[in-house]
Amino acid sequence: MTAERRARAEIADMQGLPRKSGELVFHADWERRAFAIAVSLAEQGMFPWSDFQRRLIEAVAEAERDDPLHPSRGYYESWLVALERVLEDKGLASLARAARAAVSPSPASQA
Amino acid sequence: MSDHHHPHDRPPNPYHQSARSPERDRELAERVAKLESLLAEKGLVDPKALDRLVEIYEHDLGPMNGAKVVARAWVDPEFKRRLLENATAAVAELGFGGLQGEHLVAVENTPKVHNVVVCTLCSCYPWPVLGLPPGWYKDAAYRSRVVIDPRGVLAEFGTTLDDDVEVRVWDSSAEVRYLVIPERPPGTEHMSEEQLAALVTRDAMIGVAKVAAP
Repeated sequence: MTAERRARAEIADMQGLPRKSGELVFHADWERRAFAIAVSLAEQGMFPWSDFQRRLIEAVAEAERDDPLHPSRGYYESWLVALERVLEDKGLASLARAARAAVSPSPASQA
Repeated sequence: MSDHHHPHDRPPNPYHQSARSPERDRELAERVAKLESLLAEKGLVDPKALDRLVEIYEHDLGPMNGAKVVARAWVDPEFKRRLLENATAAVAELGFGGLQGEHLVAVENTPKVHNVVVCTLCSCYPWPVLGLPPGWYKDAAYRSRVVIDPRGVLAEFGTTLDDDVEVRVWDSSAEVRYLVIPERPPGTEHMSEEQLAALVTRDAMIGVAKVAAP
């Protein structure tokens, strides 16, 4: 991505969205949904929250392995990866795979 | 006492630099939408319940809750004692609790001790009292640097400490999450608990800032 496009994407991100103490909590609606899905499933007892956190720590560490300051995926992408893995742990692998297959290949799904 | 003021419409830190291409964002949006619809088909999530959940996390949980806890601790020494002894139980007295609020520990700033909180591994954060963490709290730059050079990082947030102040860095984890009780600023002796709560910022409860005098 060119610097100019990146700058434009960031400006688009900054506008018109609710903030908490000056910073955006979510940058895109899918981040909001991915967050809510994980919390909702944990609240229903589908998995202990600590299982999800373990997966999240793993996913964040992977993304930061090569260059911590420029992670290979953003925080909520790692969150999504963690959610998919926790579902796989719970025997819902086909479901997580189907969701990934629904979109074109991406760096995270090839990993 | 810090008289530094952050302009809160822009993050004061140089760290946050995530950027995604619009195409990548679209892919991720489709992937999450698909996951949600598959889970909904199986009856495992209810899209309307997700809407409500987001609403709660975006609007009902937030630093305003932690601010009430801090203000109560400032005016009520008995409450402060209970808060320092068992923060999870003490904040429950004010009606706050839930996911990521278990095993909450309150740490108190004094003229000689300044506490600052991080989660070096990911983003553990006391949701019931602070809401969801800001972007910089989740970034590797903050997570790694605040441990190595807390004074340097605090200075970047506009918080300079005297040399004789001890800085304690607390690493949150899945087991324990921390809430900083900032120092009550001078000149607030006659303020009500509610007025005091309005002074307390999120950053002060993470420990990267102090509470400014009104």
